[in-house]
Amino acid sequence: MTLLNGKNNRKYEISEIQANEEGMKEFLFTLGCYPGETVSIISQLASNLIINVKDARYSIDAHLASAIIVEPQLQAQTAPRLKQELVEQFA
Amino acid sequence: MKIALTGNPNSGKTTLFNAITGKIEHVGNWPGVTVEKKEGDIKSSLNPGNANLTVVDLPGAYSMSPYTNEESITSDFVKNEAPDVIINIVDATNLSRSLFFTSQLTELGIPVVIALNKSDLNRKKGTVIDTPLLSESLKCPVIETVATGGGKNGLADLVDAVITVGTGKKKQAALHVRGAKNASTKEEVEAADKNRFAVVNEIVDQVERKKIDSSKQTAQDRLDRFVAHKWIGIPIFVAVIWLVFQVSQAWVGPPLADLLVGWIDAFYGLVEGAIGENANPFLASLLLDGIIGGVGAVVGFLPLIMVLFFMLALLEDCGYMARVAVVWDRFFKKIGLSGKSLIPMIVSTGCAIPGVMATRTIKNVRQRRTTAMLTPFMPCGAKLPIIALFAGVFFGENAWVGTSMYILAIVVIIISGLIIRKITGDTSQSYFIMELPEYRVPSIKRAALSMLNRAKAFIIKAGTIILICNAVVQILQTFNWSFQVVAESMPETSILASIASPIAVLFIPLGFGIWQFAAAAVTGFIAKENVVGTLAVTFAITNFIDVEELALVSGGSDVMTVMGIGAVAALSYLVFNLFTPPCFAAIGAMNSELEDKKWLWGAITFQLGMGYVLAFMVYQLGTLFTAGTLGSGFIGGLIACVLMVGYVVYLMRKGSRSAEAKLSKVA
Repeated sequence: MTLLNGKNNRKYEISEIQANEEGMKEFLFTLGCYPGETVSIISQLASNLIINVKDARYSIDAHLASAIIVEPQLQAQTAPRLKQELVEQFA
Repeated sequence: MKIALTGNPNSGKTTLFNAITGKIEHVGNWPGVTVEKKEGDIKSSLNPGNANLTVVDLPGAYSMSPYTNEESITSDFVKNEAPDVIINIVDATNLSRSLFFTSQLTELGIPVVIALNKSDLNRKKGTVIDTPLLSESLKCPVIETVATGGGKNGLADLVDAVITVGTGKKKQAALHVRGAKNASTKEEVEAADKNRFAVVNEIVDQVERKKIDSSKQTAQDRLDRFVAHKWIGIPIFVAVIWLVFQVSQAWVGPPLADLLVGWIDAFYGLVEGAIGENANPFLASLLLDGIIGGVGAVVGFLPLIMVLFFMLALLEDCGYMARVAVVWDRFFKKIGLSGKSLIPMIVSTGCAIPGVMATRTIKNVRQRRTTAMLTPFMPCGAKLPIIALFAGVFFGENAWVGTSMYILAIVVIIISGLIIRKITGDTSQSYFIMELPEYRVPSIKRAALSMLNRAKAFIIKAGTIILICNAVVQILQTFNWSFQVVAESMPETSILASIASPIAVLFIPLGFGIWQFAAAAVTGFIAKENVVGTLAVTFAITNFIDVEELALVSGGSDVMTVMGIGAVAALSYLVFNLFTPPCFAAIGAMNSELEDKKWLWGAITFQLGMGYVLAFMVYQLGTLFTAGTLGSGFIGGLIACVLMVGYVVYLMRKGSRSAEAKLSKVA
């Protein structure tokens, strides 16, 4: 699936970037947007997607969103982090 | 010692630069404000040893491999200009992304000092960074800074650290990234960069403790749902822009301008009294009407411009600009541009020169050039006096005149964008990605500084270029070609009139074929403020602003009668001045951004044609509606306009054909 088919408030693991514009793949890489990394969809605004990569918010258009191929991140992968958060909160 | 300021876009480099040098460079809360390197010396309060410390502020970059034009300035500078120390500004709220660039910087061997900026935001979010551990892992000093803050903002410590490593002459140890040292092929670099992120992530895991997961929705995201909403975002934008101009041009600006004009008038009277009756009449009128009158007419509008810049600074500071780009992206796509093109245009409402330069952040060449070409259509601060003058004199200060000029500008930009896309035959679509900075309460102090800086520049301009132009205009209209003073009954025999009259003939179909208007339009290319100044000098009017006292210094009728044109022709003149090519300085900026003489001349011709055709339509249609007949010179003007439009249509067809040819080749 591509990021365009993703749902709000979900985390996805990037499996491939298919951007054909020269330099775009490399640029996304420097933002931390590359296969294996996590991206989450915050919301959909004005036909653009608001995504979170590392600790920053970006607005990307549908064209770019459809060039980012993702897999839904398994719950198991997010669980340890969640648990850590809970531990911290109650510590 | 030469110190380079580097870091990710919108990490606060220019804010820090201003704070340590005392300069007032343009800052804003969106990525890509700085597109050129800027130099300054560290101010003496931070430099007690009086060492020779020059700081170079560089455009933001995400890495050493440039993506857009302005990013290459940064990598070229640190690679080739051998700075003694690199200050790497790291956005503390986005450590993992920032450190990717940091690790590349450490490989240059130049001592690096990290300014961990925005550390106040982290404190608010409850994120804790173990600074000593970070410093140890990166093998360079790390100083927490708050570039926007006063008091204990870490800047003194930062400068101390820079001096220490700069004088130590110790080579910076590179952060060890497997495969980075000998990477030469694309694949090797890619693999090394993956390792680089892995190393960075490991460091971040060790030093950073977060309370809030940044991938969760926050209050800011909820605000974005309104501000950047598909439909609600549009009326919000219109309201914001309307407010900016309403405050500067109706609520706050004009009362202040009235006050200032009163002082200028008093000064005029004072000087008039001081030089007395017996002074040389030529010199007296050169000083009074040419210099004080002409410059005064321009300076009278200073409050409007100052308030406008104050409002724009607040707007740029709060984080709204990036959202505007998001809202308008889909509309700008329809004309072959992207939302990124809107930011230069908003900047241009202040001044077209930084506006044109801001196009550098656009990656696609055709989009960048088109934006640089269309951006000057936005009425800039220097065109504000022309708008205010005509709105005040001919339309009884109706606010709709000013507002409609901005709306017209947007319409003109949209139509022009479509035309240019057709001419170039380029139908390619590019990706849009824009970092959304966090909202913040805009700083009144920074807006005030930006406003004062702007006022200073304006006054310097008024005291130099505009003063000289007005004096020249006054001299040229005082003498005829045999250097005799022109008789008062025959002003059309002056040098100025004889130069401007042939040009004025071209303007007959536009309704203002009067030599004074032609002269003002021409001096406007030197600086747009000159339009008002030249009109003041050639018509001997000193007060344009206080409409209730339209009494002239010489004579008793009002400005409208003296100028000898009606409201329709006035609107046409206004349109002509707004949509012709900008001043020479802005054309120079266009030249450097367009990077192509064909585009530059095309742009200037296109702008001239646009101004002419629009003014023609306003005058002729306006006359038809108000008087029921066509205006003067209709046939001649129509032929000129048809030829211009015809040529553009021809170019568009040619462009579409070449686009089709390209497509069929691909297929």
